[in-house]
Amino acid sequence: MNKTLLQLFMLCFAYSLLLNVWAETPIVHIKIQNHLFIPAEISIPENTKVKLLIENKDDTDEEFESYELNREKVIIANRKGVIFIGPLAAGEYPFFGEFFPKTAQGKVIVKPAE
Amino acid sequence: MLLNSVIIILREVLEAALLFSVLLALSKQSVIKSQWIFWSVIMGVSGAAVFGLNMAVVSEWFDYVGQEVTNAIIQLMIYFLLLIFISMQFKLYLLLKDEPLYMNAQRYNKTQIIQRLRSMLVFFMIVITTLAITREGAEMMLYFFSVTRNENHYSSTVIGMIIGFSIGVSVGFLFYYLLLSLHQKWSMIIALSLLILVSSGMISQATQLLIQADWIEAQLPLWDSTHLLSEQSVPGQLLYALIGYESTPSAIQVILYVSSLLLPVFIMLYFWKSHSAARLQEL
Repeated sequence: MNKTLLQLFMLCFAYSLLLNVWAETPIVHIKIQNHLFIPAEISIPENTKVKLLIENKDDTDEEFESYELNREKVIIANRKGVIFIGPLAAGEYPFFGEFFPKTAQGKVIVKPAE
Repeated sequence: MLLNSVIIILREVLEAALLFSVLLALSKQSVIKSQWIFWSVIMGVSGAAVFGLNMAVVSEWFDYVGQEVTNAIIQLMIYFLLLIFISMQFKLYLLLKDEPLYMNAQRYNKTQIIQRLRSMLVFFMIVITTLAITREGAEMMLYFFSVTRNENHYSSTVIGMIIGFSIGVSVGFLFYYLLLSLHQKWSMIIALSLLILVSSGMISQATQLLIQADWIEAQLPLWDSTHLLSEQSVPGQLLYALIGYESTPSAIQVILYVSSLLLPVFIMLYFWKSHSAARLQEL
């Protein structure tokens, strides 16, 4: 029983690695400055994986957080971080900076394919 | 700033506090002195400081997903250590349960096994809690140093953090006394079940992090239970900390979660069967 399960995992893992090699992921740049996300709204196509490259220009760390996207990551002061999102269904997915939530607010708009 | 810091710290502390309370309750029942807790706090806090101070470097590993990968590795380690701990704890419970039944010579032998099991349990508890504090503590530290840079926020942040920390620790104590107030058999069953859920939560979170880092292929969610129980709500947050609740999980996350739940159950069933077979022979 356990052996079969293990083999299944290995298969899943190998499969997911394979897919990674084939996929070509679009990159979206986001800047954090004065505790704001710039741009605060980004648009991406539905059912597509996207690489968010977040650059923190502030002297303070910030935590990118989104319940809707299921993402959470500390972006260290004056450093960069990468977060992969999607494939997503069309809709709006808000995100915020957990350390400075009053100002650091934004959303990902997923547009339906034409 | 105040409410925000209460919530952030509470979320981090809650996870570690629940783990601590269950382990402390179990060690009390297994007649293990609770001194181990000092070692894990000292080592955990040092670990958190080292991890937090080097987070900038760690973040840039593996093409800027080093944070996810490192956290996922820590969580996987906690899962496997908890798996061993749960198995040994169950074995000890079985041995202690029928201790009065053994003959003198047998008893001597069993006592030695029990002693050895106890010291191994202590070792595992220290390592597990050290890893947990390292991970949670590093994030708290980064939060503290970022937010307090702005002097206007200083006192409200510190007060918020103290409130959040105190609530987390109080919930831990509540859990601890609740577990101890139960009949030993039930308390053991509930404590071990909680530990299994906590450990599977680690697998769920680690999977999530590896998806975020694109080490595991992302898929569309299998279901969306946000309308039933939002991850943002208080019970949702509590369940996230306790069992790794996810309102929009993907198939691979569900598969890994369920198998990580079943694995310790199978191990315990195996121990229980072989123990009862051995006892039948002895009597």
